[in-house]
Amino acid sequence: MAALVTISSVCYRGVRPLLFRSSSLIRPLAVQKDRDCPYLISAKIHATPSNYAYSGSKAASLHWTGERILSIALLGLAPVAYYYPGPAVDYSLAAALTLHGHWGLGQIVTDYIHGDFKIKMANAGLFLLSTVTFAGLCYFNYHDVGICKAVALLWSK
Amino acid sequence: MALLLRTVARQGLCSSRLQFAVLYRHAVPMGTTAKEEMNKFWTKNTRLNRPVSPHVSIYKWSVPMMMSISHRGTGVALSSGISAFALAALVLPESYPYYLDLIHSMSFGPQFLAFSKFALAFPVAYHTFNGIRHLIWDLGKGFRIPEVYRSGYIVIALTVVTSIGLAAM
Repeated sequence: MAALVTISSVCYRGVRPLLFRSSSLIRPLAVQKDRDCPYLISAKIHATPSNYAYSGSKAASLHWTGERILSIALLGLAPVAYYYPGPAVDYSLAAALTLHGHWGLGQIVTDYIHGDFKIKMANAGLFLLSTVTFAGLCYFNYHDVGICKAVALLWSK
Repeated sequence: MALLLRTVARQGLCSSRLQFAVLYRHAVPMGTTAKEEMNKFWTKNTRLNRPVSPHVSIYKWSVPMMMSISHRGTGVALSSGISAFALAALVLPESYPYYLDLIHSMSFGPQFLAFSKFALAFPVAYHTFNGIRHLIWDLGKGFRIPEVYRSGYIVIALTVVTSIGLAAM
């Protein structure tokens, strides 16, 4: 009961005060379990020692942000590809499409595949696929008509 | 949060220990990452051969659910298409215009061509518009249930209109 009161009070305030303030939280609580000796308990909680160094990397957070920025870039590339087709846009599209697909499929691997070995194998396969895809698209851009022209030709008939 | 539950649960709420009338604990930060915790969960449960509760097979399907998995589905389909195209570019001997003329020489009807364009444009349009919807969510907007449904219907409408428009070009 008292634990619930403590927890609910923390939940209401959010975890941030706990994590980023090394000072202690003191909340007076009433114990309702023992009715013969009711007294106040102070729950003093040190969330982290004040000398606790910030550990853990921002890699996941940065990855997330990178995914969104790439998505926006890809959105912007579409009208550019329509109005200004050419090798610059062709190679940009190849890179953006491949990377967007690679990261998207990576999220699917994370969601559905479990177990260290299986995850490693799936990611290796994905990396191979994305590499071949990018290589193929660049080859197409260089030796053939290029992505923009290909779409234009496909749509012309 | 789990930290608190652990520390408090661990020591219990025995009033007999409260000779100082103070619950006092140094809470230690959790030493495992989320990934490690999830791995532990999966290895333990697969080892014990525990059945998974039915979820997609019993829960009533809703429009947001269907749109979400469709977003993933169109993404996989488009990515596979691009990879197949890239692989073909590397493997096939002739050039792209050659194969395009080959397909056109097979004289499919104009309806077939229009339908093929629609079939190509539809997943691209859907994934694009729903992608914008996702980006708006990432800004923190539009999470209320009526808003979710409204934006979903707008995405579907835009997808159909755009696909028809592109197929007609």
